[in-house]
Order: sequence, then structure tokens, then C-alpha cells
Amino acid sequence: MKKWLIMILTLALGLLGLAGCSSSDKTSSDGKVEITYGFWDKKQVPAIEEIIKLFNEKNPDIKVKTELTPYAQYFQKLETAATGGALPDVLWMNGPHVVQYAKGKVILPLSDMAKKDDFSFDNYPKSLIDLYTVEDEVYGIPKDFDTTGLWYNKKIFDEAGVPYPDDTWDWNKLKEAATKLTNKDKGIWGYAALMGNQGGYYDFIWQNGGHIISEDGKSVGFDQPEAIEALKYNISFIEDGLSPTQAQMTETAASELFSSGKIAMMFDGPWMVPEYKKNPDLNVAVVPQGKQRAVAIHGLSNVIAANTKHKDAAWKFVQFLGSKEAAEVYAKTGTVIPAYNGTQDAWLQSVPNLNLKAFIDGVDYSVPLPSVENTGEIWQYETDILKKAWSEEESVEDAVKELTKKANEALSKN
Amino acid sequence: MKRRSSFFSLFSLKGGSIVKEIPLQVEVNAKRRKLKVPNLSKTRKRSDFFWAYLMIAPTMLGLIIFYLWPILQTIYFSFTEWGAFGQYEWTGLDNYKRMVDDANLLQSFKNTGIYILFTVPIGIFLSILVAVLLNQKIKGKSVYRTLYFLPVITMPAAIAMVWRWLYNSDYGLLNYLLSLIGIKGPQWVSDPKIALYSIIVVAIWSGIGYNVVIFLSGLQGIPKTYYEAAEIDGAGPIKVFFKITLPLLSPVIFFVTIMSFIGAFQVFDLIFMMIGKGSTALEKTQSIVYLFYQHAFVLNDKGYAAAIAVLLLIIILIITAIQMVLQKKWVHYD
Amino acid sequence: MEKTRQLITSKTVLIHMILIVGAVAMVLPFIWMFLTSLKTYAESIHVPPVIIPKDFQWENYKEVFTLLPFFKFMLNTLIVTVLRTAGQLFLCSLAAYAFARIEFPGRNFLFLVALSVLMVPGQVFLLPQYMIMVKLGWLNTLQAVVVPGLFSAFGTFLLRQFFMGLPKELEEAARLDGCNHFQIYWRVMLPLAKPGLVALGIFTTLWSWNELMWPMIVNSSPESMTLSVGLSSLQGQYLTNYPVLMAGSFLAIVPMLILFMILQKQFIEGIAITGGK
Repeated sequence: MKKWLIMILTLALGLLGLAGCSSSDKTSSDGKVEITYGFWDKKQVPAIEEIIKLFNEKNPDIKVKTELTPYAQYFQKLETAATGGALPDVLWMNGPHVVQYAKGKVILPLSDMAKKDDFSFDNYPKSLIDLYTVEDEVYGIPKDFDTTGLWYNKKIFDEAGVPYPDDTWDWNKLKEAATKLTNKDKGIWGYAALMGNQGGYYDFIWQNGGHIISEDGKSVGFDQPEAIEALKYNISFIEDGLSPTQAQMTETAASELFSSGKIAMMFDGPWMVPEYKKNPDLNVAVVPQGKQRAVAIHGLSNVIAANTKHKDAAWKFVQFLGSKEAAEVYAKTGTVIPAYNGTQDAWLQSVPNLNLKAFIDGVDYSVPLPSVENTGEIWQYETDILKKAWSEEESVEDAVKELTKKANEALSKN
Repeated sequence: MKRRSSFFSLFSLKGGSIVKEIPLQVEVNAKRRKLKVPNLSKTRKRSDFFWAYLMIAPTMLGLIIFYLWPILQTIYFSFTEWGAFGQYEWTGLDNYKRMVDDANLLQSFKNTGIYILFTVPIGIFLSILVAVLLNQKIKGKSVYRTLYFLPVITMPAAIAMVWRWLYNSDYGLLNYLLSLIGIKGPQWVSDPKIALYSIIVVAIWSGIGYNVVIFLSGLQGIPKTYYEAAEIDGAGPIKVFFKITLPLLSPVIFFVTIMSFIGAFQVFDLIFMMIGKGSTALEKTQSIVYLFYQHAFVLNDKGYAAAIAVLLLIIILIITAIQMVLQKKWVHYD
Repeated sequence: MEKTRQLITSKTVLIHMILIVGAVAMVLPFIWMFLTSLKTYAESIHVPPVIIPKDFQWENYKEVFTLLPFFKFMLNTLIVTVLRTAGQLFLCSLAAYAFARIEFPGRNFLFLVALSVLMVPGQVFLLPQYMIMVKLGWLNTLQAVVVPGLFSAFGTFLLRQFFMGLPKELEEAARLDGCNHFQIYWRVMLPLAKPGLVALGIFTTLWSWNELMWPMIVNSSPESMTLSVGLSSLQGQYLTNYPVLMAGSFLAIVPMLILFMILQKQFIEGIAITGGK
């Protein structure tokens, strides 16, 4: 019996030793520096790994460890990590959150470092640099940009005898096509009315002439007639049986239903290209217009955590991530549209049988995602409240009234 | 015949007799040594104290640092409000005032209440039933016991995943089986009206095995003489169950009930893994602990979360106090 | 000894029928989990459902390993579980012995203090424990999960019961042989408390392996995640790609399943004792 206890304790101590080796010791004895890179999209892993490989050719003494966290938990985890000074050294940042992180001083301003190393911000679209500039300091190096496209399944269109979407389509045409494409017997829906802001109801609201956050940043526009009309249009697909219900899409993700040929059309971004290019039945067109054309435009950037212990290594990596070379990797693999000026053509050619131009065309009439200090809080209200309208539990009017009240309260805190 | 009543020495400082055998040689040595007079000098007492404090030190220090002091800290935090990235400030009773109007919190109490109301009694009833059946003279007892115990050793995260899949309204096995007999299955985990009950089923399913084992052990502790006497008296199985089994099992039943209650009160894992954040069923299934987690680590509302934790503490203390009183009334000892 | 013949009475048949229905209900989800893990996505959402997949898609398992460091999850969970179990067995028994067998000032008071922890629901400890980890810089480490779990009021209480039941003569004998308390504890008491130690060991192992909330709060980077947290992360990445999710779930439960098959008797006895005390 004692022998058991001794064995267990020895095993425990042995494992403790193992644990000591395996838990975070970022500088190993041979002088190599290790930095962590945090991001959320698993579809971009192959491209990122190739970029890291290229980076190591020039910087063999900097090891980059990737840290993949699902989007749903990404910012929640970041908040926790930031509080504990445990953010990954380099990480993805998006527009809605950069202000909070910059003002909270948990990410580093990059302007001085860029000046010292002659790193130019002119290589990127000004709108993206502005998105990541807080109080005159640039905090992030743009990585990509994205708009919205109308993805569709050619096979379903062919079988229903409906011509493919083109740039003449408008709201009525979308509804009409969805009606013809929906086939209850085969379990096929015409259009997935996903509840989402970017590439979803934001786009519809803008197409209808509405706004999300007012010019003075003091109020939201959800309760305006344009927005209400847009939301009602969006939800009408569910009401008319042309789209899976909110509950159904929670249980089985729309993107997976789309991949498996159960949905004819849905809005989504260029980040789906690596996934959807595998399916020969899929293609993409420009998003239909409402009173005007509009799609959301947004782009991610790479930022450096204030708690990094390897500032130089992190900065070297971030520079490389923003380089033409890295942009070309993203472009030729069709992973995302790189932000670096002039590299977008390579992306366009990367998957010839997909009409990727639809996304580039969208830039002309795109509207940037609204960003304030507590955007995250407002998005949370949107999710919590609008889902009741989406599940037809509440009318759109009631939902937007509650949402507007809560969002305006949040905005008044700024 | 003395019945082991040590279940409730939780609240007394005395123990019961557990060890049944003593190695013979030690006994002999002990008898031999009894002739000598024990030396109770001061040095021995001091060495006693030294060893005692040394031996309890790690555990006591650990408990104080990680458990007892945190209780005070949580109470303190419940009077604060937190901003981004870990800053907080004192706000007095604000959090508690907020709780009064919080519809979500009230709903989570209702949810947790329904959860407890169904999980505990049904779970215990089924466990007793299975335990009694397993206690009969039948073959394959250990096979059954193993099978019933499988869900207990399975990670709640994995259980939640497979049941979510079984419950899927369009492609899940359950609705398919129902469609075979002409019933259109409901949306088990997306319909706010029934999602909670779907979770209750999973909770009962995964907890039966555990209680079966405990009840079985309790049943086996009932001396056969009682049953033999009943048989001689000509009592039928139902009468035996109600007049003998149940009363003698009552300490165990009571204990299991309290433990199940407290466990059910703190349900989190199943709900977290089975109900998506965008699901409309969320408000009607959130448990109190889920709300605590939500406020503490998702919304970064740590002060409010601490207040919820304090509320939980008060409730459990009240329940424990009630239990101590009821114990004296309802439990049969001989 | 009389040999009792097992009569196949209608009573026995009835009992078996009821038990079998229950047993099938217990096992069916696991079988379905395994079958689904081997299907393609299209097969899994096919209506009517495909029971046995046409080709066994072992790639689903590979997918689980390539995207997330699942093997690391298993290793982490193993380390955390062994350390916590061994730690509790040692530290709790040490304290339990002292509380049970040594008379010292403040004994009852200190024991009640320790016991009061049992009255408190776990969530009350979480936030401050989390803040401690933040201050120590222990977020995303294994020690953040292990260390608070080394100390257990429950374990101390349980083992104290066992020690109190041991006869005093053994101690007297050992003392007169010149043993100090630690030696008495180590050589005499511990071996005799084996059932209690096994029970606590099983109980702690089970709890540690399956724990979700605390490991999830302190460990959000894949390198230091445990299996439960890893599964929830998997769900975040694969949303509703059930074959892959089922593969991940199956991998997560297999180790404990194997352990259980080997140590069945100890498991069941252990639970019975912890439940009974």
C-alpha cells in the first residue's frame, strides 16, 4: 500500500517536472526567442504557417507559436488575458475593439517604431490606417479587408431553372429568386437570413438609406424607419419559409448547410473562399441593391500587446506580417484580400472559377463598420435583443425600441 | 445491531467505527507494551503540538489562502463595480439594488428551481428503483452496474455534445425516431419552452449511475434478518419496500437528496455546452451559476457577479441550516 | 452450504426487462457518438439518418488532432489530475491524521474553520482565486489549475473519519517504539486507511478530469487547455460539424473509460464510500 503511495508521489513529481518544461518558458537556453501569435480563423492557418516559414528564413532565431481561439471566445479571452498581462505577443485586432484596447493601454502604439525603422503606412488604404489610429497614434498594421458577397449554389439554380444572380438584382429580385429556389420536399431553402451585423442587417440598413451610429456618435439609428424596414425585410425570409429559422441556424450552422447544398444563397465574406472553393457548385456575385448599393467594409490588423516581453521580436514579426511578401501569400492562396496596395490582383486570379471580383467591386460603395470605445457592449445588446425579433418572439418595432434605448445609454458613457 | 449513522457526523466531531481488521502482530505488541506506563512529559506534549501544526499547515494554509480569504474578498467585491481590464471602484449597495430589478436574474432563479424540482426527485426515484432491482437475486449485476455508471465517468462537455446532436431538430436521431411513429419532434434545445426540460433529461440520465451505486451500497447495509423476518410474516414485496427498505434507507436517501440538491443548484457545464449564445432558449435555461459566469467573465461585470455569488452563498447556508433541523426529524436511526 | 437455484421466474424476467431498457438508454448515446464520428458531414445530416457510414472516416479524428493540440490537452489533463489527486491524498491525509489523533490547542476550532469551506458554493471562491492567478502571472499555466485543487476540506474531513476509527493501541505501541507522529502516520495509519485513500483518490480523479469552469477561466490558450476546455474550443471552431465534434468527444472520454474498465471495482467502492460518509 505504501508502495502505491510512493509510486504515485514519484509519478506526480515526475509529471511536475514535465509540467515545468511544458508550461510557458519563452526563452530557451540556446538564445531563441519565442513569441505567440493570437488569431481566430482556422481557415487562415495554412497561409499563416507559410508566412511564418518565410519569416523564419530571415529571422531564424525568432520562434512563432500560433494560438488559435474560436471567434466567439476571442475577445472575451483577450479581455481576461489583458487583465492578467497575458495577451499573446502579436494578435489580431478588429475595428470595433481597437479603441478600447488602445485607450486601455494594453496594446502598443506603433508610430514611433515605424518612424525609426522607416516603415511606411502609405502602403495601405488610408481608410484602414485611420480605422486603427487612436488619438493620433497608429496601433495596428492592416492585414486585409473584406466586403460582402452573395454566395450562391449553381446546382440548385440550375435545377430550379433560375438564372444566376447578377448586378441587376435588387431586394425584390432576391425575394423572388429565393421563393423559386426554396424546395421544401428536398429540404432546400432559398436564402439564409442569418442574424449578423457585418454582411447582414448592417448592409441591409445601409442599402435602405439608414445609419447605425449617428455622425455625432451620440445615438444609434435602429429605431429609424429605414432601419426598421430593412430589418423587417431581412426577417421576412424566415417568416415566408424561404430561410431556415433562427433556431435551426443555431442548431446547424448556415455555412455548413450551404456547403452541403441545402441553402441556395447567403451573404458572406471573402474569408469563406478557402472553404467554398473546394465545392465546384458554388460561386459568388455582388450583393443586390436596395434604394442604393451598400456593403460593410472592414479589415483586420496585427497589433502588439503591451505586456510583451519581446518587443523587438514582436515588432519584426508584425512588420513582416504587413509586408508585400506576406500579402502575396494571402493573395495567391485566396485566403483573404490583402490590405497591401497592389497585391489584390493576385488574389483575384487565385481562384479563377470564382467571381471574386464581386468583393472588389463592393469597395466602391462600402461603408466602414462603426467603431466607438464600447462597440463590444453595443454588439452584445444587438445579439441579445435582436434575436428575439429573429425568432419572431417579438416584433421588430419592440425590439429596436429596447435596443436603441440600451445602445444610446452605452453611447452616452463615452 | 448497531446501524452505521456516520453519514451525519459531518456535523459532529465524533466518528464511527470503520476499520474491521487489525493485523494480529501489532495487537500482540500492543498488549505487551501496555504493561509499561505511558510517559506524558512536557517534551512529548510539545513535540505533539509541533507535529500537529506542521501536519495541518499545508492544508490549512492552502484552505485559508485559496478558500477562506476569497470568501471575504468576494463579499468585498460584491460592493464594487469593475471597468475594463481589471480596474474597480467601491459602489456600495448598487449591485444588490440592481439585483432586485434584474429580470434575467429572477428568471435564472426560476430556471434553476425548475431544474432542481425535476432533476432531484426523479433522479433519486429512478436510482432507488434501479438499485432495488439490482439488489435482487439476478445474474449480470456487475454488467448492469458498469453500464449505468458509464455516463458518470464521462465528461459533461462530451455528454452535452452528443446529446445536442441527438436533440438536433432536423437531423438528430431523436426526432427521426419520433417521425417513424408519426410525431413531428419539437426543437428540443432551441425552443425556449422545452429546452430546460431537455437539459433536465440529460442531467437525470448522467446522474443515475452515481446514485445507484450509493443506494446499492446502502441497501446492502440493511441486515438480511429484517427481510427474513418479513418473509416469515408473509409480507409482499411492496409492503417490504415501504415498511423496511425505505425507512432503513432513509439516512442515505436524505444524504443523497441534500447532495443532489446542492449539486443541481450549481448546474453550469451542461447548459453552457448545450445552449448556444445566440439561442433564444438562453434566457429560459440560464442557471444562476451560468449568469454568474456570464457577468464575471463575458460581460466583465465582476462586481455584480460577486454579488450573485454572495446570494448563492446565503441561499446554500439557509438550506444547510434547514437540513440540520430536518435531519433530526425525518431520519430513522435505531 | 445450500445451493440456491436461480429460477427463471416471471419476476426475474420483468426485472431484467426494466434494467435492459435503462441500460440501453445509458449506452445508446455513446454508440451513436462513435458511429457519427466516422461519418462524412453529408452523411451525418442525411435524412433519413445513415446508421453505419459507408466508409469509416478516420480523417475526422485526424482533423481533431491537426487543428487543436488535442494530444497536449490529454497530457495537460493527465498532469493536472495526477498532481491534484496525489497532492490531495498526501496533504489531506496529513492534516486528517493530526486532527484525528493528536490533541493540540485549537484543534476543534481549526477543524470547524476548515469544514466551513464545505458549506460554501464554489462560485464564491472563483473571482478572488482568479485574481490571485492574475497577480502571480499564472494565467495559462497548469499550476493555476493544480494549486487550488491541492487543498480540500472534503478530503480532510473524509480521511479524518477513517483515522478516527482506528484503534488507539497501535499508536501507543508505535510511540513506545520511539516513533514520532510523522512516522506513525506514514508507517502505521496510512496503510490502514487504504479504503478511504482509494475512495478519495477515485473521487478526486473523476472530478479533476471532468472539471470545466475553473480550467476554462484560467486557461484560454490552447497550449495549456485541459480536455473539457478543449472540447468547448472545438465546438467553437467546428460549430456544428458533428462528425468532428463527436470524434473529439470520443477521444476525450476514452482515457477515463479505459481507466474505469481496469479499476471498476475500486471506482464503485470509492463512490460508495464517499457517498456513504
